[in-house]
Amino acid sequence: MKIRDTVRRAGRSLRQAKARTLLTSLAISVGAFTVTLALAAGAGGQAYTDSLITNNGDAQSLSVHIKEDDEVSDKPKEYGTTSDAARQGQLDDTDIEKIKKIDGVAEITPTYSISIAYMTRGGDAKKYDASIGIKVDRTAIPLAAGSLMDNQVPVGGVVIPEAYLGVLGFKNAFDAIGQSLTLHIEKPSDIVGRKSSEAIDKTYTIAAVDKESSTVLRYQAELKVSTNDGKMIYEYQTADQPENGQYNGLNVRVTDGADVAAVQEAIIKSGGYEVSSLKDIQEVLFQFINVVQYGAAGFGLLAILASVFGIINTQYISVLERTQQIGLMKALGARRKDIGRLFRYEAGWVGFLGGTIGTGLALLAGLLNPWITQTLVLEKGTELLKFNPLTSVILIASLIVIAIMAGYFPARKAAKLDPIEALRTE
Amino acid sequence: MIEVKHITKTYGKKQNAFIALDDTTFTIPDGASVAILGKSGSGKSTLMHAMSGLDRPETGEVVIGGQNILKLKTKQIDEFRSQQMSFIFQSFFVQANESCYDNVSLPLEIANIPISKRRQKINDALTAVELLDKKASRARDLSGGQKQRLAVARAIVNDPRILFADEPTGNLDSVTGEVIEDLLFGYNKSRGVTLIIVTHDSDLAQKCDIQIHIKDGKVEKIESRKELHS
Repeated sequence: MKIRDTVRRAGRSLRQAKARTLLTSLAISVGAFTVTLALAAGAGGQAYTDSLITNNGDAQSLSVHIKEDDEVSDKPKEYGTTSDAARQGQLDDTDIEKIKKIDGVAEITPTYSISIAYMTRGGDAKKYDASIGIKVDRTAIPLAAGSLMDNQVPVGGVVIPEAYLGVLGFKNAFDAIGQSLTLHIEKPSDIVGRKSSEAIDKTYTIAAVDKESSTVLRYQAELKVSTNDGKMIYEYQTADQPENGQYNGLNVRVTDGADVAAVQEAIIKSGGYEVSSLKDIQEVLFQFINVVQYGAAGFGLLAILASVFGIINTQYISVLERTQQIGLMKALGARRKDIGRLFRYEAGWVGFLGGTIGTGLALLAGLLNPWITQTLVLEKGTELLKFNPLTSVILIASLIVIAIMAGYFPARKAAKLDPIEALRTE
Repeated sequence: MIEVKHITKTYGKKQNAFIALDDTTFTIPDGASVAILGKSGSGKSTLMHAMSGLDRPETGEVVIGGQNILKLKTKQIDEFRSQQMSFIFQSFFVQANESCYDNVSLPLEIANIPISKRRQKINDALTAVELLDKKASRARDLSGGQKQRLAVARAIVNDPRILFADEPTGNLDSVTGEVIEDLLFGYNKSRGVTLIIVTHDSDLAQKCDIQIHIKDGKVEKIESRKELHS
């Protein structure tokens, strides 16, 4: 018999036992449903984590600090045994030189600490306190208006937080783009409490307005300037101060394409540094998602395993019911192979049906995405259930294969049936 | 020509052994209509199974067209059956849930006839038994006589050389039984197909060219109509 005819006949015999076929497929569909949802939730979770990560840091950058003593002890140490006190927690240019030599390091930016006295829109406008920071890495930040090339603040530009718009007299975020903002930068005074004598005014163009978002874990409303401008302010403020050339930390950007983990390892090996990367956090989060995903998928596989016995049982009954048909086919010259195939394909149909029903139901559950997002108060548009058509196709295909394998024993029984016995009517 | 030579078939073992066929020998010429007569348990069904290769006797030969089919491998016998033989049974064995068309299509599918050639053959066979108008109906909706006509259509659709009929009228009243008999003998005469009817109905047997009487697994007597000898 031709495969096509066998498949058609198999499908037809299933239609003759609709209730039984449907119930058997439903058993499989429970498994297919669970597996599909688990995979979708895993993919969605990973995508969500990814967006969390990119909004909170740059995976291509490492942050380097001086390694603190492992043992934090309350006991006083003997005088003179504490290591270089001046160096405690501070990095300098020799460290930069050292790390720069490591393969895969593209750029090193010290963490400059800077401050401003006030910001103003110039002229007679009011002056306001403001925090300021330097955007060193290429972390994507959610913007209310404007855009940042390569996620970096342009030189001479500034990013202002949404919260500053009102006091600065902007109607909305778009109104602020391209406007100028003047920062008043003072040199620290030598005597506490005395006003500094020296100060400069610097004017920047507003390049973008950033906003608070649930995907940004620690949002700080502050002005952000480019590394170059930050460095200039730092140089001005620390020019004749002892802390000039001393940094709390370094931001190391790894060359595109280089292995971040390897560079991280190399910096740690070069001695005395503590290096943390977003990759670390990302891996921990992914691992967690994977465990949950595999757990759920495992339950789905168990359901599929249970349904396999359902298929075997149903097919055995089907063989018993159709003894005469099998006998007739054999009398008409059907080969054992043909009969076996007929019943295996019948099982395959059941697998196909179950897989399609289960996947279909899971896709319907995907309609709950907006509700889930709303309930968990996630960023608008986030989809925690992400379906991949290819995965579904592979899942259904494997269910067909599994069902065909489950149909093996009943099919063998049918193939072995003695036609004379089968056709006996008494 | 079908030559049955010294076939013996035993069921069971040792003390419980039951001899179904005991050194049975006879010859059937091509195109003849043959009745295998006997009471139930006489071995006539076993004989049909042996002649069609469904069963394998311990000894003897069944030579059809010069070939001993008992020496063939299972696969080859299956193919031989699908090409050259077909069956009609007392209980019809039509597939109740399938359409008449699909019922008749089954032997063609088994014999690997390409789809393009099937339609014509199926329509011809259904026309021959006057069931063409029931083509799309399910077999379960047919009457007993119609079901057996459908079985006849299924038996003749692939132009067999040998047609086995096991009590073809056993489940039918005399009027519908006669319709089936006319169909079978008509086909036997018009196509020169060898028709072998297994029956205990002597009236039906009378209509055949040759009557082979079986008793306790042995050929009791063979009667032939005069015109065959001439």
